[in-house]
Amino acid sequence: MSRALEDILFGAPNPKARAAARAMSVAVAAVLLVVAAGIVYQFHAAGQLDARLWKLFAWPTTWGFLAKGMFGTLASATTAAVIALVLGLVLLLGRLSRLRFARWPSVAVIEFLRGVPTLLLIYVCFLVLPSAGIKLSTYWMLTLPVGLSTAAVVAEVYRAGVLAVPRGQTDAARSLGLTEAQVFFFVVFPQALRYIVPALVAQLVIVVKDTTFGYVVTYGELMQNAKVLIANYHALVPVYLVVAVLYCLVNYAISRASKQLGRPMH
Amino acid sequence: MSIQSILKSTVVALAIVTGAPLFAQGTPINTAAFDTLVAQGPVADAATIASSTWASKIKQAGKLRLGGTQTSNLFSLLNEKDGKIRGFDASLAQLITRYILGDGSKFQFTQVNSSTREQVLINDQVDIVLATYSINPARAEKISFAGPYYTSQAGVLVKSNNKAIQSYNDLAGKKTATQAGSTGPAILAQFAPKASVQEFQTHQEALDALRQGRVDAYVTDHTLLLNVLSLGTGDAQLAGAPFGAQDPYGVGLPKGSDGVAFINAFLKKIEADGTWAKLWTVSIGQRTGSTAVPTPPALP
Amino acid sequence: MGNVSRLLADYGPAFGQALLLTWKLTAVSFVAGFMLGTVVTVLRLLPLRPLRFVLTVYVEIFRNIPSVALLIFIVFALPDLNVLIDYEPSVILTLALVCSAFTADYLRTGINTVAGGQAEAALSLGMRPIRVITAVVLPQALRAVVQPMTSLLIALMLSTSLASQVPYPGRELTALVAKIANDSAAGMSAFAVAAAMYLASGLLIAWAGAALEKKVRILR
Repeated sequence: MSRALEDILFGAPNPKARAAARAMSVAVAAVLLVVAAGIVYQFHAAGQLDARLWKLFAWPTTWGFLAKGMFGTLASATTAAVIALVLGLVLLLGRLSRLRFARWPSVAVIEFLRGVPTLLLIYVCFLVLPSAGIKLSTYWMLTLPVGLSTAAVVAEVYRAGVLAVPRGQTDAARSLGLTEAQVFFFVVFPQALRYIVPALVAQLVIVVKDTTFGYVVTYGELMQNAKVLIANYHALVPVYLVVAVLYCLVNYAISRASKQLGRPMH
Repeated sequence: MSIQSILKSTVVALAIVTGAPLFAQGTPINTAAFDTLVAQGPVADAATIASSTWASKIKQAGKLRLGGTQTSNLFSLLNEKDGKIRGFDASLAQLITRYILGDGSKFQFTQVNSSTREQVLINDQVDIVLATYSINPARAEKISFAGPYYTSQAGVLVKSNNKAIQSYNDLAGKKTATQAGSTGPAILAQFAPKASVQEFQTHQEALDALRQGRVDAYVTDHTLLLNVLSLGTGDAQLAGAPFGAQDPYGVGLPKGSDGVAFINAFLKKIEADGTWAKLWTVSIGQRTGSTAVPTPPALP
Repeated sequence: MGNVSRLLADYGPAFGQALLLTWKLTAVSFVAGFMLGTVVTVLRLLPLRPLRFVLTVYVEIFRNIPSVALLIFIVFALPDLNVLIDYEPSVILTLALVCSAFTADYLRTGINTVAGGQAEAALSLGMRPIRVITAVVLPQALRAVVQPMTSLLIALMLSTSLASQVPYPGRELTALVAKIANDSAAGMSAFAVAAAMYLASGLLIAWAGAALEKKVRILR
């Protein structure tokens, strides 16, 4: 239907414009290469290209150690995601309910969990709850707040999906004699899910990012293991760089996986 | 790139294959001596364990939940290659584990830092905390201490080329690092109130801050500083003699736990039979070039 | 309730300062991130393949990297590369970079809502492409993305809790709650107060955003 803006503005250029664009591309590429070279030079000048700082990555033990950290990250992230998806559904049902005593608490919980930083919730689980007698394990001190925080957002994402399902579907289902529960779970919700899968996966990425707060509660995940490597080898830049790249790769992979599923909302 | 640096890189590349540690902070610990010492520690008999509910609980659980650090060079450093933690605090923890459970490796480790040490005991996340943990009254209100097992004063660490700071008296207006939740902030408040203090969560971060020039000085327990005279790039030196009160390190236990008496009895035992002195030599003495073994502090 | 009033008596000014610091960090990071994100979006429209590639990589990196990892890299690793940035600019830089990546994404969506015919008409009037972008497309795109940008601003405000992870001069709300919980038994009350402040700020932003959106939205 409508072409992308770039096509309209810059597509099908005349030969002069094409030559100009090519020249500019070359110039830009040259500038970017100079910048890249500058960064590499900076690494070198600061002594960060010294092999002694990078050699630890030639050892399989290092990668095994990082993998253990990544496993800790993903273990927490997966459980938190499951909590978010399930609790989000519960909150959604409460939010959509026609009963006031179900709706108002749901709205309150959703707004509260959305409006408070995840880190603050984590601090509460770690510092405050124990004095009230609630003692969680380290794993749950990280996973529970992250799961709760995300559940609220997931509930809103579900709601957006449900609202996007054409009204005709609900009406038709009702006229067929289905109960409200059946209408929701067999007609509306499945269709809503297909609209919102990208948004849900985006939340999954946020969950993985939130697990980096694990060291606040002394949970062993990737950042923690990075610090051990640094204490042993003083390779601050290489280790943090590699860890950052690992996080980016994992999250990017999750985002890419989402593009294979679901379709955009109308 | 000069010929020399190419040659150097080749040599280093060859060293990669052998995995030889070309860089270590100070003298690395004698792993063989350490492991032998820990494996030869005393084991308690059933009656001793039964007399302490804290120890009995651990014996029943089959493992000791330990709160410690993995990134403190002299006291507790994890070697990720063999997965073993070694250092003065680590040796005590492993000996205690062996004392109760018969095997020094049956502990479950939780990384703590100076801000989380009390909380993990209050939360019952760990049974014991060994992490250069200074005994002071404020902390003693929340948790109990066994020991002291070591004492150290405070020291000031600066970079070698820093002539301006000769002792803690010169810290006024200077950016000074210390560890959050440690005795550092209180010591600075008393001895160098005009210093501009930055608190870090771990010893390593504070050291890096000094090396990178974020701070001019690092004030913490003197012993921690002894091994840091080589920071890697740019050396460091101690500014002035150790100062301040003798800081006693204790073993953190849950409040009111009878583990205190149990551990104190254990400490008396290993101090009497010379194990304490041997631990000190392997973990601290040999690595900092000190030969005079200090006398262990008096136990209550 | 008595707990809360006692807490406010002891720490009232500290909470006020913490709130102001939170707002300040939010505002500065958002403005910087928003401007940077807009520039990135516009540059990505230009028909220069190397530039588009690099900027796409930029957006992907800062969308996917955890803010904590980025902050730690800037504060602890960059100095080893001889780039020493003080704590406050480091936090602002981290938040701004992440904000810019999300802005670039949302703005791109906003640009997609502007009908192609507008650009074609502008071109046929003799406008140069850059001017078409700045005078015709961008204003409408910005008006279309007020809602997601409001969400982004709220998320950014909540992310300022990051500052508690470095030796930041001054405490923002989360750092203050952690300190109070460590020093006293008033942790729950402190959390309640801080939560109330975060919520109130978020609601304020949401309300302002909704009002702005209603005013500038383009009905098609």
